[in-house]
Amino acid sequence: MNLERVVFGFFIVLTLSLNVAFVAGSIEMASYHNIWILTFAIIANLVAIGLKLGDRSQTGALLLASGLVAGLLLIAARIVWIVAEPAVGGAPGPDDMADIVSIARGALVANIIATVILVGDTLLSRR
Amino acid sequence: MTQTSDLDRVSMIVLRYMRRPLFALLFVYSVGIVGMALMPGHVVDGETTRMNLFHAFYFFTYTATTTGFGELPNGFSDEQRLWTIFCLYTGVFAWFYAIGSLIGLVQNPHFIQAMDGFRFAQKVERNKEPFVILCGFGDTGSLLARGLSDHRMRAVILDADEERIKALGVRDYTVAMPGIRADAGAPKHLLAAGVKHPACLALIALTNDDDVNLKIAVMARHLNPRLRVICRSTSARHEANLRALDNVTVVDPFEIFAQLVYWAITRPELHNLNAWFVGARGTQLGVPVQVPRGDWILCGYGRMGHWIQGCLRAHGIGVRIIDPDVDADEAGESTIIVEAHADHSALLAAGIEDAAGVIAATDRDSDNLSTLLSVTDLNPDAFRIVRHNSHENQVAFDAARADLVLQHSLTTARRILKLLISPLVQELIDWLAEREPAQTQALVARLKMAVGAEPPHLWSVRLVPDEAPAVAEYLNAGGEVALGTLCQDADAFPESLPCEALAIRRAGQSIMLPDRFQASGEARIRWRLYDDAQQEPPPRGWMVSLARVDASRRSSRGRGRRRSLGMASPVGGWACGADASFPGPRNRRSGGIRTRRLHHPAQSLCRWPRPGSGHWREVS
Repeated sequence: MNLERVVFGFFIVLTLSLNVAFVAGSIEMASYHNIWILTFAIIANLVAIGLKLGDRSQTGALLLASGLVAGLLLIAARIVWIVAEPAVGGAPGPDDMADIVSIARGALVANIIATVILVGDTLLSRR
Repeated sequence: MTQTSDLDRVSMIVLRYMRRPLFALLFVYSVGIVGMALMPGHVVDGETTRMNLFHAFYFFTYTATTTGFGELPNGFSDEQRLWTIFCLYTGVFAWFYAIGSLIGLVQNPHFIQAMDGFRFAQKVERNKEPFVILCGFGDTGSLLARGLSDHRMRAVILDADEERIKALGVRDYTVAMPGIRADAGAPKHLLAAGVKHPACLALIALTNDDDVNLKIAVMARHLNPRLRVICRSTSARHEANLRALDNVTVVDPFEIFAQLVYWAITRPELHNLNAWFVGARGTQLGVPVQVPRGDWILCGYGRMGHWIQGCLRAHGIGVRIIDPDVDADEAGESTIIVEAHADHSALLAAGIEDAAGVIAATDRDSDNLSTLLSVTDLNPDAFRIVRHNSHENQVAFDAARADLVLQHSLTTARRILKLLISPLVQELIDWLAEREPAQTQALVARLKMAVGAEPPHLWSVRLVPDEAPAVAEYLNAGGEVALGTLCQDADAFPESLPCEALAIRRAGQSIMLPDRFQASGEARIRWRLYDDAQQEPPPRGWMVSLARVDASRRSSRGRGRRRSLGMASPVGGWACGADASFPGPRNRRSGGIRTRRLHHPAQSLCRWPRPGSGHWREVS
């Protein structure tokens, strides 16, 4: 067992899990979606991008690309949240919430791709 | 596995290297922001307020970058202030660390080298103008680069010495001359320098190491068999190797030097003509040096000495050798040999009183100069030929006032430049060398009549559709053009231009000294397209080498001594000088000219003189 591989897999799966945890539930209801989870998803995603840097293989390039897509979309969702948040406090309204969650669901696709590549690569190299 | 460049590899390493500082920043930011959002703030209406995540990020950003706006958006509680202290120290240090790593990375020598290589390859690839590749930027290389620059010819320069490439950076060339520190023997560097580039005219291997030169020539032949290679070589073994390759021209600086010494001694009129062609300082056409007859004393019997002695002996000139470690068997039986340094006593022993002259040809300038002093003392009438090795000693050689100073790097550079700029001129000189001196004297007389004694402007004209469309059209239509017609002045028709045709080359054959007013025969230019039935190679036009006085050169004389090869510069060609409204050679390519139909073929020649461009490639 290689500690580097553990850390690598940990952050990629963590990103996916946090992303799922954020987007799960009704798309318009703010109570289903936690801003902390989104923030942690972004941090985990940035760490994952950092870990993917510097890999020259074709798989590494695809992993980095999907990580960048997920990061871009998650940060976009976070910015929409910041803009849509009422000044008095509280969560954004249903319309804005739908925007935020749909963008985050886009990021989910990228994260799924990254995880599939990672798992597939690991299984193939086992043989 | 696909090939990756150095830059790819290095940028990957850079990214991996940047991981650590990025993670440090990310970690410090995450902890700081989360902590700030969790710290209890002031109590309002009995409820503890907290900073939201966005505001925490905002706060951390201006704190970590030491901007410090203060306590925004609301005043902080003591817990928050405590956390602020933590954020400030960790954040600022994380930034220092990240920036420090980045600067260290930019200064990394491997990274700098990879970036230089990348930029160099980009510059070469984007270049559209014809260029030559120059491997080795020593004395000869820099002289050649100067000569090429005077002819507006681009060069790409490779040298293994960092200092030489730095020296290249401070030269004021008229055209772009990108250079890089690289081992020219490595194929990847040759590729980066444009060996396969369509605009690459020739590769010139001028490093000081014969092995490296051979390697460069062989590599270049493999990478691009059609590329012309000019290779400096001083060893017989390598020369045999190189001459077996086609498209490779071997240039032996010692051989060229010996040939010039021999010409100066036995064929002063040819030496004079050659010096006039290359524009050597202080040369007057038709005033050859007066060399006395008799035996010569050769001081220094190294590689150069061997060549000189061989050359002179073969033509029946007696040579006496002075050298501390000469091998008597090598020099030949009847040769007088003095085994000593060329000082007073040695010169006396060699019989300086009755010698025609002295050739000081050691590879040490100090020895050569001291020999000159002794000779002046012992026999002031002796002719003094001296070898000048290092450019640094130029002033001393000027002051020594020898009868003939030959610098082998300069002679080599001139020879290569001639091969590149006007190859037919060298052919002409070689042709004349094989013939009676009377023929040379006749040519000198002709040139003096036509162009006067000023330094000449040499150039070649190609009569091909791309460069002389009017002539090509006329010839295609069945017309015939005599050389004399081409030499007429379109602005003052039917007067002749002050120029003289030296050679014509057509379909691989050269005609030397064509008679310009011959009505029929060889010199008559006929245009014929490829004839399948006769199975002969398609004639690809003519190249006419001409000499004339360069007006711009006359005016620019005395602008200070510059280290120049002397071959007249093509700026302000006669098209510009004769009529300002005519497009000069430099803007000839800008188009529009081809649409102007010319009535007289001679006009074409006036408008499209292309001095200083590499024509030989198409013609050969």
